[in-house]
Amino acid sequence: MAETSTYETVIGLEVHVQLATQSKAFCADDAAFGAAPNTHISAISLGHPGTLPKLNEKQVEFAIRLGHAIGSEINANNSFDRKNYFYADLPKGYQLTQDRAPICIGGKVAIKGSNFNKEIRIHHVHMEEDAGKSIHDLDPKHSLIDLNRAGVPLLEIVTEPDFRSPEEVDVFMTTMRQLVRYLEISDGNMEEGSLRCDVNISLRKKGAAEYGERCEVKNVNSMRFARQAIEFEVKRQANILNAGGIIKRNTLNFDPATGVTSPLREKEDANDYRYFPAPDLTPLELSSEFIEKIKTNLPPLPAVLYQQFTKDFALSEYNANLLTQEKAVAFFFLRLSEQSKNYTGIANLLINKVIPFANEQKINISEFPLSAKALTDFVQLIEDGKVSSSLAYQRLFPALIESPDASPLALAEKLNMIQDGDDDFVSDLVDAAIANNPDKVKAYQSGKKNLIGFFMGEIVRASKGKADPKAVNALLRDKLS
Amino acid sequence: MKIDKTLILRLEKLAQLELGQEEKLTLEHDLNKILDMVDKMNELDTSEIEPLKHISKEVNQLRPDEIRNQVDAKAALSNAPDHNGVHFKVPKVIPKP
Repeated sequence: MAETSTYETVIGLEVHVQLATQSKAFCADDAAFGAAPNTHISAISLGHPGTLPKLNEKQVEFAIRLGHAIGSEINANNSFDRKNYFYADLPKGYQLTQDRAPICIGGKVAIKGSNFNKEIRIHHVHMEEDAGKSIHDLDPKHSLIDLNRAGVPLLEIVTEPDFRSPEEVDVFMTTMRQLVRYLEISDGNMEEGSLRCDVNISLRKKGAAEYGERCEVKNVNSMRFARQAIEFEVKRQANILNAGGIIKRNTLNFDPATGVTSPLREKEDANDYRYFPAPDLTPLELSSEFIEKIKTNLPPLPAVLYQQFTKDFALSEYNANLLTQEKAVAFFFLRLSEQSKNYTGIANLLINKVIPFANEQKINISEFPLSAKALTDFVQLIEDGKVSSSLAYQRLFPALIESPDASPLALAEKLNMIQDGDDDFVSDLVDAAIANNPDKVKAYQSGKKNLIGFFMGEIVRASKGKADPKAVNALLRDKLS
Repeated sequence: MKIDKTLILRLEKLAQLELGQEEKLTLEHDLNKILDMVDKMNELDTSEIEPLKHISKEVNQLRPDEIRNQVDAKAALSNAPDHNGVHFKVPKVIPKP
């Protein structure tokens, strides 16, 4: 076991977001995931001589959208560079990227967890293209190459080294996923590689001002692997430092099967990508009108909605968090909130019934079969005490799903679910329960107060769910004392 | 900056080329002449001149986000030295740079 407690862990991320454009970054091939191998390709993505790249205008717009959302300064004078290296899944022999003049500069992202509440500073965001896919385990003597992904548009988000724990990294990635989905620039799907990160890890003595030398773990495509890779690296580096050794800057691969990192490349060649200006791509000059127009069309962001839900609608932090995870859910809540002021009632209905139903049926919440009016009427029936909440949730709601056009009140009446708040009705039931259980009454009066639950159960059952539990409880306590 | 034998070896490796002794000498000579020319140009004071970013005056050559001009797998693989009808086949190549 390595002694790690004297060190502070310092982490910076390079997050790659695959953009949800129709076509690729610099050519018009289909950019969709999951097609048959080598079918989304063209002379340009195959790197044939004499072909010319041309930038996808959607990639520019998506990059600016993200920049606005994280408070970046948008760079009006963009250019592109070639990053040169040889690999079989990179047919051109270089990746088109923005080395000198990235599109977004600076910015920050707030993250909040059980023991932290901080801002991660963003260094910059740049546009680039993805490489193809190499498959090493299908053929014993060869690597197989699928170039469908070659040229798919990416944004790379480079953070400052502001993370101090795997938990912070976890929350940041979750926040980025939520953000890119709100902005509709990516599906944020980590399993399909739409969101992945390189993790830079270093250690320094607690209290030290200087950062330690860092190692970079490449291509971590799940949060679980990111955590494992960080935990492994912290121990590995602490062991070296404790033994009086020094950390050498290195690029590492993480093996999910073993949970171990290992060097990826010979260090004397490290990062010699011989960047130079891309001769085939003209500079990109953005007008301030264009940049501002994209800002105006930005959707409400999750952090703003969370504020609105907790402050204006007085929802609990827990409910507000659940309802702002996905934009469609938050917007659905906003639609209902225009029809009823019973915000907590609506929130409970969405969280306990509507969202689980949509998930089970694999439908978008906007396709939910009941109208906004039916849902708010349903919430009102409970609020008015006309139907008990347990009866409403367990029986009326499924009945409404079966008859989505029925009015909740009419259906509750038809199914005989209207709660009787009538004093005589409740009073008779309470009297009967007391008369039928003289021994329990005696036990209650001699101190076994939790028998109240037994009486409540008897009465609610006898009323077939129609007695208002609040009225029963009050009357029962009165008559038993 | 001076091009020497060590740098030629390094460039050879980075460019994935195999050069003969003769070629190495020629290249060392040629590259040094190019650098001499650059040094000559550096004698000029260009501090007041905007750098040339691109040889063309054009900017903002963009295309709409539409799918077109794709080729099928058969056509793509037809030029490959080796394939299995679905994938390009290459010698096992690990690690990645």
